[in-house]
Amino acid sequence: MFKYIKYIVCFTLLGFSVPSIQAQDAGAPKIIIRGKITDKKTKAAVQGASVTEVDADGRIIKGTASDIEGNYVLRVTSLKNNLNVSYIGFKSLSQKIDGKTTINILLEEAATDAGDVVVTSSRNTDNGMMGVKERNSTISASRINAKDIEEMQAASIDQALQGRLSGVDITANSGDPGAAMNIRIRGISSISSTGTPLIVVDGMPYETQIPSDFNFGTADEQGYAQLLNVSPADIKDITVLKDAAATAVWGSRAANGVLLITTKRGSVGKPSINYTFKTSASYLPDPIPLLNGNQYSTLMPEAYMNRTGTPLNTQQVREFNYDPNDPYWFNNYSNNTNWIKEISRTGNLQDHTVSMTGGGEKARYFASVGYFDQTGTTVGTDLKRMNTRINLDYVISDRIKIFTSIAYTNTNQNRNYLSTSDGAIRGVAYIKMPNMSVFEYDEQGNVSPNYFSPAANIQGTYSRIYNPVAMANQAKYNVLGERVVPRFQMNYDIVKNVLKATFDVQFDINNTKNKSFLPQIATGRPSTETVVNRAYDGDIDLFNVATKASLAYTPVIKNEKHKFFSSLIFMTNDLKAVNQELMTSNTASSLLVDPSIASRTQNQELQAVSSVSQTRSLGALAVAQYEYNDKYIFNAGLRGDGNSRFGPNYKYGLFPSVSFRWRLSGENFMQKYKNIDDLSFRASYGESGEAPRYDYTFYNNYATFPWSYLGQSGVFPSSMELKNLRWQTIHGTNIGANLSMFKGRFRMDVEMYRNRTTDLYFNGLQIASFTGYSSVNMNVGTMDNQGWEVAVWTTPIKTKNWTVQFDFNVSKNENVIREISPFYPNSKGDVTQLGQYLRLLQIDNPFGSFYGYKYKGVYPDKASTIATGANGKPIVGPNGQTVQMRYNYPNVDYQFQPGDAQYEDINHDGNINYMDVVYLGNSNPKLSGGFGPSVTFKNKLKISTFFNFRLGYDIVNGTEMNTTAMYNFDNQSTATLSRWRKEGDITNMPRAVIGGGYNWLGSDRYVEDASFVRFRSITARYTFDNAFLKRMKMKTLSAYISAENIFTLTNYKGQDPEVSATGSDPFRMAYDYSMTPPSKNFILGVVVGF
Amino acid sequence: MNKVIKYSLLLLAITTSLVSCTKWIDLKPNDGIIREEFWQTKEQVQAAVNGIYSSMLGSTSGDLALPEYFFIWGEGRTDMVTPGFKASPQEYEFVNVNIQPNNNYTNWRALYQTINYCNTLIELAPAVLKNDNTFTKAQLDQAVAEATTIRSLMYFYLVRTFRDVPMKLTATISDENIQPIPKTSGDSILTQMVSDLKASEAGLPYTYGNANTDKGRVTRFTLNALLADIYLWQEKYAESATECDKIIASNRYGLVGGNNNLFNALYYQGNSSESIFELQYDANKLNPFYYMHLASTRRWGASARLMDEVFGVDLVNAIPKVDARGDGCSLRPSDLTIWKYVGANSYGNSMRAPDQSFAHWIFYRYADVLLMKAEAINQTGKSLEASRLVKTIRDRANAVDFNGTMDSTSKSGMEDYILQERQREFAFEGKRWYDVLRNAKRNNYAKVSYILNMASISVPSDRQQVAFNKLRDKNSHYLPIYLYELQTNNLLVQNPFYK
Repeated sequence: MFKYIKYIVCFTLLGFSVPSIQAQDAGAPKIIIRGKITDKKTKAAVQGASVTEVDADGRIIKGTASDIEGNYVLRVTSLKNNLNVSYIGFKSLSQKIDGKTTINILLEEAATDAGDVVVTSSRNTDNGMMGVKERNSTISASRINAKDIEEMQAASIDQALQGRLSGVDITANSGDPGAAMNIRIRGISSISSTGTPLIVVDGMPYETQIPSDFNFGTADEQGYAQLLNVSPADIKDITVLKDAAATAVWGSRAANGVLLITTKRGSVGKPSINYTFKTSASYLPDPIPLLNGNQYSTLMPEAYMNRTGTPLNTQQVREFNYDPNDPYWFNNYSNNTNWIKEISRTGNLQDHTVSMTGGGEKARYFASVGYFDQTGTTVGTDLKRMNTRINLDYVISDRIKIFTSIAYTNTNQNRNYLSTSDGAIRGVAYIKMPNMSVFEYDEQGNVSPNYFSPAANIQGTYSRIYNPVAMANQAKYNVLGERVVPRFQMNYDIVKNVLKATFDVQFDINNTKNKSFLPQIATGRPSTETVVNRAYDGDIDLFNVATKASLAYTPVIKNEKHKFFSSLIFMTNDLKAVNQELMTSNTASSLLVDPSIASRTQNQELQAVSSVSQTRSLGALAVAQYEYNDKYIFNAGLRGDGNSRFGPNYKYGLFPSVSFRWRLSGENFMQKYKNIDDLSFRASYGESGEAPRYDYTFYNNYATFPWSYLGQSGVFPSSMELKNLRWQTIHGTNIGANLSMFKGRFRMDVEMYRNRTTDLYFNGLQIASFTGYSSVNMNVGTMDNQGWEVAVWTTPIKTKNWTVQFDFNVSKNENVIREISPFYPNSKGDVTQLGQYLRLLQIDNPFGSFYGYKYKGVYPDKASTIATGANGKPIVGPNGQTVQMRYNYPNVDYQFQPGDAQYEDINHDGNINYMDVVYLGNSNPKLSGGFGPSVTFKNKLKISTFFNFRLGYDIVNGTEMNTTAMYNFDNQSTATLSRWRKEGDITNMPRAVIGGGYNWLGSDRYVEDASFVRFRSITARYTFDNAFLKRMKMKTLSAYISAENIFTLTNYKGQDPEVSATGSDPFRMAYDYSMTPPSKNFILGVVVGF
Repeated sequence: MNKVIKYSLLLLAITTSLVSCTKWIDLKPNDGIIREEFWQTKEQVQAAVNGIYSSMLGSTSGDLALPEYFFIWGEGRTDMVTPGFKASPQEYEFVNVNIQPNNNYTNWRALYQTINYCNTLIELAPAVLKNDNTFTKAQLDQAVAEATTIRSLMYFYLVRTFRDVPMKLTATISDENIQPIPKTSGDSILTQMVSDLKASEAGLPYTYGNANTDKGRVTRFTLNALLADIYLWQEKYAESATECDKIIASNRYGLVGGNNNLFNALYYQGNSSESIFELQYDANKLNPFYYMHLASTRRWGASARLMDEVFGVDLVNAIPKVDARGDGCSLRPSDLTIWKYVGANSYGNSMRAPDQSFAHWIFYRYADVLLMKAEAINQTGKSLEASRLVKTIRDRANAVDFNGTMDSTSKSGMEDYILQERQREFAFEGKRWYDVLRNAKRNNYAKVSYILNMASISVPSDRQQVAFNKLRDKNSHYLPIYLYELQTNNLLVQNPFYK
């Protein structure tokens, strides 16, 4: 606590020492000034106009307001000061007092409400630290205006950005409301971190991580919908910083890129009220066709027979008995249930936002309040969010401005008890036996209102299998989040236009409550087990204080050819997390859902946990930019970082960055090319360090054994001290070019980059046991993350009535390991096991390659299973007998049978084993990107479209593997109806064998080229013209309709080709387990302004 | 001038804040203990000693509890057990003498974990003397001696199981202590252990003044028993007998009376007057044996021939003699349950409840000391004296004479007989394989037949010829180094038989 006070003090000292030395004028004479304020045009008195005495710096000394007759009286302190008069709707007026005591004023009506705070004549790119004109920027950044994406059905901006920016890859974890998105800027530069970029809102970092040890009960990372909950309606624009020179200024947390979000601000003018409304409906397309109950009940006994050689005893396995004389089993197990349909519904969404902006000379405001309500396509999922934001700017004087904002968000999310990672409800619905009933029938054959959740049947027990409808409806998982972000900023011009200081402080209070309950009916298990009536309650409270103090110096240089500006910035961040969690089970009733109710706590997983952790970081940055003659622009920065997650040896790091821009079009010899507005080349190099994910790892921690010895508790060293953990450093190099032609109608950005990560972190590297430990977090190697991007913006047609625009971006990214610790595993995937592919760690080769067998179809008959050599003749044994093809001799030595899958015997030894494994594909896209033509007619009707694509990559169709394996009692796809059944059948679908055979080894049977082009969205927006608006007494009115995910062009046979490799390790590859294509959304929206 | 003041004040403000902020990022965990704060008081030293014992009851890193390894290493390859239907393929490999480097049960991590806790205490406890004035040198010596004894016990298990292993005698405190180290030969490790133990002997108390603590924690007699065992392995018979005599001469231990008492006192109740050192499982930490031996989930059962061929059936007397160590003690013959760990009475009709499965794991007891002495002095030519010791053990157990009588005149006859008696006395106590190996390797594998004879019983007939061929290579008597260890320590060389 003491340290904390000290830090507040040190900040305040830094913050307020400067203004406080401004001596106040004291003891000035008090003189009274009177006058009358009238409208210049109508000569009417103006009531309520503000009249203020203002000093040379524009600071208000005294103020009053005119009365009903327009008269005012003001006691001023100095006759040298100015008198300011302002009233909304009139031009403000300033006048020297000059010793006069009566000043009458005529106010002129303002022509427009112009005077937007942001001057948009030339776009600024901002690395968040120093505003630079976009045309002079030396860094690689891309920007998107919120207007472009407001039509999309998106709860948060990350969803809306998907596919819009080159080099930014955003993928959804799941389609459920509130599911978090994975944001990757230029791929992954780490093999163990989450890889999410730093989010910066209005110049201050915005915390999006929660401590990794939270949520022991249902560990998953996707339930944090409220992490990125800046309402899309409040956003003005978003900039993505991509190269290391740009991110370096943000320090350790920006190693994965930076997303800068600017929110809307108030502007001078009459108050204007905006209302935006959006509603949408989402439909899930049909999934791949699955077997119905009857087909399923035919397949399973056949598969059993193929395995054991004996028929399935349906007297014992009554699930397949179908005997009407056994009414309980007959009624419950003779259905044709479509489990997918039972848990699906049409999703819908409504989003309302009301915002007000306005302001006068001194104060401007933007306030908004929003309500968002989404119902997911899976039963039991929804999200409600209320949010409000107030941005307030106040000009104290020409030299001092303050800017404050407060944002509050309340989210209430219901999700399914089990998340996608641990076998979500939808996953179970796909494999659930279709002959089972949703509701239980009694002995008499009457359906009861109770879900049919047997403790176990032939398909297994919870948690592998359960009644998904009961799980969706009865099991609860609620996430309640509240977040308040107050913010205070002050700008002070120490020397006007030359030296400016800015002080920022932001508090972030982010509280989340997770509450879940798993009732007996959802699992069907007996009440002695802990998965019955399991109640969980977990709170996590985060408190973050971030400060930033900066000093910007822009000297006035006489020679206009030279320009220089620089900043000195000091930042601190202090994040404290407190969490408490409690899990119990076997409450007395399914209605008693709280863990505080007397219930069972003995088992290991039923526990109470509480922890406190704290992370602090500080950074100091010096950055300068020099421009010569608008042609040569040079920028350099040096950042020092300190982080509490390191031991004393490596607490601080220094990270330099340099960047350069050469404007070729500014050279004399280029002047003859009149069409070129700008042609520049950029080069940059920057380093940025990343801190580890866990707190306190540089301590040798001790823990207590969960049991005692002779009644006394024992203590042991639970982790070793990590003295050698160093900053993971990204050395980013970027070469780029910007071209702008035909007055901005053709613009192009080209970038090439390589981010080399040295001292790669790896958490949990295996170490030899003689140390007494099994793993350690270490810096293990060097990895490159490299690629290129091209983005093009064109306006091919621009006439009075028509504007046609066409934007296009394309990029490629790949990862290569350059150097790695010998203890890092060098392969993953055991090809002798079913369904697995081999991946190898190959130094200097891009990630994503995988290896497996070649599939050659199905052995139709006994004769075809005879092993043949390279010459095509049968291989003969020592006694001259022919031998059958074998699998993995001598370890397994399975002899292939007719109907089994046939794999190519690459080395012709009659034995299918690891030596027959070949290269099958690479799941790294050769190209990915998006394009979007848009047409505007008379500025009224605008039709915009957006496509995204990925080309040249292979994925493993995991869905096909799972739904055609016929390996257990899971439901399968209708493709299995063509399976091999008897000697001589010619088919491509092997026979069904429960728990046996080698029919679904990792082979090219499941590997497909997944290149695709997807028609992501189309929007038609109509903006009503001024004449109409005047009649309706509105300022703006526009309406739009939009459709998403309309169709996908691909040769891929699975459901959704847009699959990214999961994980960040060198063994990542893309598996498609989606059974349903992405949902189709239809959106209707209205924007009204008064 | 004004400007100068402004700037210098600004500069001052920045410097002050920078200086105070360097301290600001030094953070310590709010909950939990760190090394810098531990090792301050004698109570903390005591807690660390308890931690060493606790670590033997179970692992915090997901490995098996030590007694499970000791059971499988000591019994899995012998004629005492048969795999149950839930035995894993890797457990079958023990029976088949086909142990590969990827076999989970060759994982030695759990032992090294305990060794590291011992090393940590030995290295860091002495500093507590400075911090806590009430902590005496004697208390320190005792704590260090306890840790040293347990460390030696762990290395003794490792050497007997793997022969040459890495010997780490320093604590792993930071990531600077994890450099790969090569194997040290088993002989040198044992030499080191002997000298460590000798140095520690004076530090250990004869008694803690509490019966349970005397059995559950290392006393001076535990150290003597361990030394005797190591000497026996090293074929230093005189030294071994001397250590045994120290225990016998103390008169603190005696054999528990025969019949029902034997099972009840030794195994069901635990901490008997016969016990020297046993691991204290209790209701809040159960042993790993319940489901391992329970008929419905059995991984290991007793061999079917034990009653007939090991404990013997009395065909002579009218009221047949029954060996108290057989039926209802070591095993329940009706379903071949290993009764020592799961039984609740000596009639074989009542089992422990699952939450009562806390039979102790016995490292050493008095009977072991007597038989170790017998083995040692028999080797020095005192076969007659040895036979008396064996007779004491047999009489206590009401043993059946069914398999020829003891020949107290023949050294090799006695050697054989003592080995058989040990088989009966320590059935399923994790000693059989080591006993057989110790006798087989004596005098440069003069009696490799002990191992081959055992294999002819324990290995299934279709695998026997292969097993014999393997067992004739003495290197095969030691387990392979677990693949994981070879991958993570580039200085390790696989044990010769498995290359």
